[in-house]
Amino acid sequence: MVLQVSVVVTFAALAISFWVLQIIQNARYQEMAENNHQRTLALRAPRGVLFDRNGRVLVENRHSFTVSIVREHTRDLARTTALLAEVAGLDVGVVRQIVERHRNEPTYRPIVVIEDASLSQVAAIMARRLDFELPDVVVEQVPTRQYPTDALAAHVFGYVGEASEGQIGDGVRIGAIIGQSGVERAYNDLLMGQDGARRVVVNSVGREIRTEAEVPPQEGRRVQLTIDYDLQKAAEDGFRHAGFNGSAVILEPRTGEVLSLVSLPAYDPNDFAAGIDAATWASLNSDRLRPLQNRAIQGRYAPGSTFKLVVATAALEEGLVTPDHQVYCGGSASFFGRNFLCHLKGGHGAIDMRHAIEKSCNVYFYTLGNMLGVDRIHKWAERLGLVGRTGIDLPNEQESIVPSTEWKRQRTGERWYPGETISVAIGQGQVTVTPVSLAVMMATIANGGTRVTPHIVRAVDEGGGWKLATPPGTATQVAFRPQTLQALHEGLWMAVNAAGTGGRARIPGRDVAGKTGTAQVISIQGRQAARGSGLDLRDHGWFVFFAPRDNPEIAGVVFGEHNEHGYLGAPIAKHVIETYFAKKEGRPLPVLTPKPAPIPREADPDTAPVELGAPVARAGTTEVLTN
Amino acid sequence: MFERRLYHHVDWGLFIAVLTLSGIGLAQIYSATGGWTGTVETQIYGIVLGLAALVFCLGIDYRSLADKSHFFYIAVVGLLVYVLFFGAVRGGARRWIDLGMFNVQPSEFVKAALALVLAKFFGESRRGGITRGDLAVAAALTAVPLVIIAQQPDLGTAATLIPIALAVVYVAGVPIRLLGAVTIVGLLATPVLWQFALEDYQRERIATFLDPEQDARGAGYQQIQARITVGSGGLWGKGFTEGTQGQLRFLPVAHNDFIFSVLAEEQGFAGVIVALGLYLFVILRSLEAARLAKDRLGAYLVLGVLASFTFQVIYNITMSAGLAPVKGLTLPLMSYGGSSMIATLAGFGLILNVRMRRFTN
Repeated sequence: MVLQVSVVVTFAALAISFWVLQIIQNARYQEMAENNHQRTLALRAPRGVLFDRNGRVLVENRHSFTVSIVREHTRDLARTTALLAEVAGLDVGVVRQIVERHRNEPTYRPIVVIEDASLSQVAAIMARRLDFELPDVVVEQVPTRQYPTDALAAHVFGYVGEASEGQIGDGVRIGAIIGQSGVERAYNDLLMGQDGARRVVVNSVGREIRTEAEVPPQEGRRVQLTIDYDLQKAAEDGFRHAGFNGSAVILEPRTGEVLSLVSLPAYDPNDFAAGIDAATWASLNSDRLRPLQNRAIQGRYAPGSTFKLVVATAALEEGLVTPDHQVYCGGSASFFGRNFLCHLKGGHGAIDMRHAIEKSCNVYFYTLGNMLGVDRIHKWAERLGLVGRTGIDLPNEQESIVPSTEWKRQRTGERWYPGETISVAIGQGQVTVTPVSLAVMMATIANGGTRVTPHIVRAVDEGGGWKLATPPGTATQVAFRPQTLQALHEGLWMAVNAAGTGGRARIPGRDVAGKTGTAQVISIQGRQAARGSGLDLRDHGWFVFFAPRDNPEIAGVVFGEHNEHGYLGAPIAKHVIETYFAKKEGRPLPVLTPKPAPIPREADPDTAPVELGAPVARAGTTEVLTN
Repeated sequence: MFERRLYHHVDWGLFIAVLTLSGIGLAQIYSATGGWTGTVETQIYGIVLGLAALVFCLGIDYRSLADKSHFFYIAVVGLLVYVLFFGAVRGGARRWIDLGMFNVQPSEFVKAALALVLAKFFGESRRGGITRGDLAVAAALTAVPLVIIAQQPDLGTAATLIPIALAVVYVAGVPIRLLGAVTIVGLLATPVLWQFALEDYQRERIATFLDPEQDARGAGYQQIQARITVGSGGLWGKGFTEGTQGQLRFLPVAHNDFIFSVLAEEQGFAGVIVALGLYLFVILRSLEAARLAKDRLGAYLVLGVLASFTFQVIYNITMSAGLAPVKGLTLPLMSYGGSSMIATLAGFGLILNVRMRRFTN
């Protein structure tokens, strides 16, 4: 009897235990069982392919392999780490560091140890996996961004990278690859696509048994840029050929479509595609030439003589002068007790506006600037696109600055001295502009007064074929007087095709119109002080242009960093323009001869000193005063 | 030897329950090993041979068998000694005699032999009451195979011999006080045994049981997985061959030590209740056989066989739910294992034998 009762009691206790486990705590163990054998793998979506305006593929995706450790079923992490390092030929310490960094993450999340693994690494690891030696190591094929091999248009494309903590959310998950600059960033929402997921069943050693469910990734939208690959290449070739860094922005002057946007030196966006290594990142960041800066929209420089076009436009449109208005240039002029030089020591004599533009006469524009005052210069600079941002669809554009009395009061609390206007009239002093804003200025002058918004995306394929992107609205539309346009266009044509400084951009039959300019990096006095500092203090050179003179089809700017002479940028513009017309007319594209002949030095009017520091009263000894 | 009238006294209920449990075990082995495998075939051979052994043990009067018990005992101990020196090694333990086509595990047959010899020793004692000398003999008879099996090492099977001895001496009239004293001595001896008698892996298993989370990847792994396996089964289970824990090998040796966990996962609480009910029925029915036995020898024999069976069933089921330390103890009738199946069915042959011959002289 005792035995019977104790057996029954024991079995009842067992039944109750099973009841507790299987019925009461069922949900909890159910979940644990599912976590045990189900693993969700993210399937990275390929980013959208970028095309140029003619349908040529610019940026695509390639397959790369990532190798990661999934610790969920790892028995001996140290062994796995050591073996993986050995098999892949890596330093054990480095692998251990990577694993250590992710130690506190959930164990089912793969720790990526090798991005963009080589085929031999993949083969070695897969062999060990099949031997059950590395069951907890996962090799995945992931789409990775691939850019043209020669780092072409790097600053247009930008680069991609893992989302930082602040970028998580709004569809961006931890570990997601998103655009970090350029078009990749500005249009990330379109390009990113949607990651998929695969739920797989794994066994107790982590081996995948079968796929339970799969949500395929959605590739990002295809995006067509306004960039023309051939013009982009022509511009970059031009710089390489000329042997200096800088920036170029080439626009379609009626629409503001960016045909080419160059910033040099550049980086190779491929370095970022599969996660940039610390050494490359550090060297990019510490490089004094700042390859990560997009000079076209982030570099601000004095426009120099190119700014004379603003003064000319303002004076004509305000009705202060006619193009035939003459000013006597004796080589210098005195304003408000200070003496300002022209670059031509002997002076240009009596000169009208067309010739003043052609020969870049300082005195002529000092005089007009003085008549206008800074605020009217500011007003017309704004209408030409030189104030604030142009609104180009790239991230982190800098504002261009053209001073006004209001601007100075807000900034320093001081009133504007009319004497300051004289320097502004020739693009020095407080004027600093971005290359892209000067390109907009040239487009506006070329198209007769419509300030276009430069933009870089032409069409987007939202799934149902190409749809033209809505072009951004034009900022201001002022129809310039015909005689203003005629004077500007003729003056600019003469600067290239007559006795001006832009002769190197001359193309017979194309009527190129252009203007050189020099941006002082530092004043003459400062130059003395900074001597020996190791900084590159040579002047920057500008060349702004459009072509042809009548009904312009292409307009832009070439900025040569520390190239000292604006006219050195002209051959780059010439090469781009020639390429443009050759392509348009179906002729073979021009090729630059391999090595440029040594350039003979020629007198550059833009680099001559334009201002003497000493006021007239004290500078009685300067020869200029004798005029 | 098999009189026709005896046929009517066979406990068919018990027999069918035993057979049903073997069938359930076979089905779960099929599921746990992933289909029709050599393992399933071996188990079928085990059941067939076991049924032959059952018929053999049923056919000969248990009194005649008891008279020969010392031969059985000596033969089995001899085999154990043979195994100790020449046995086949698997998984670090020397437990098997390799006969080419299959392996025999003699330790499984010790249980029946020991039950027979102890039942004979106490059942035929005419002296009335039990002397200390009797106890010493019983202890020695138990200790010899126990120590040898523990050397293999196979602590689980060795432990199953203790319930046999305790059950027989208890019903033979050993005062409760004495049993209590033995138990206390045993408890006091535990730390000493812990230190000297246990292997490192055995110590680790017990330590892990007390705190499984402490070593979730190592020894505690099996216990946690066992709980997950059972707990995720729910009321109706995940379905035959649909269990994820057993199928994907989260549970080691699922067809062996953890067969009941697989059953719990795939057939749910409902399946557990059916299996528990069958085991309870088998045990109660066997106790009934002991009560009805014509002589003390029969009663002692049934209780001896039943004691190790019950101990193993309860321990294994507790372990399958992750509620006891993981030990290499199989679930009689259901776990994979030919020797175990044959020995267990032979044991039930003895139980049926006692009940069947309750009216014969």
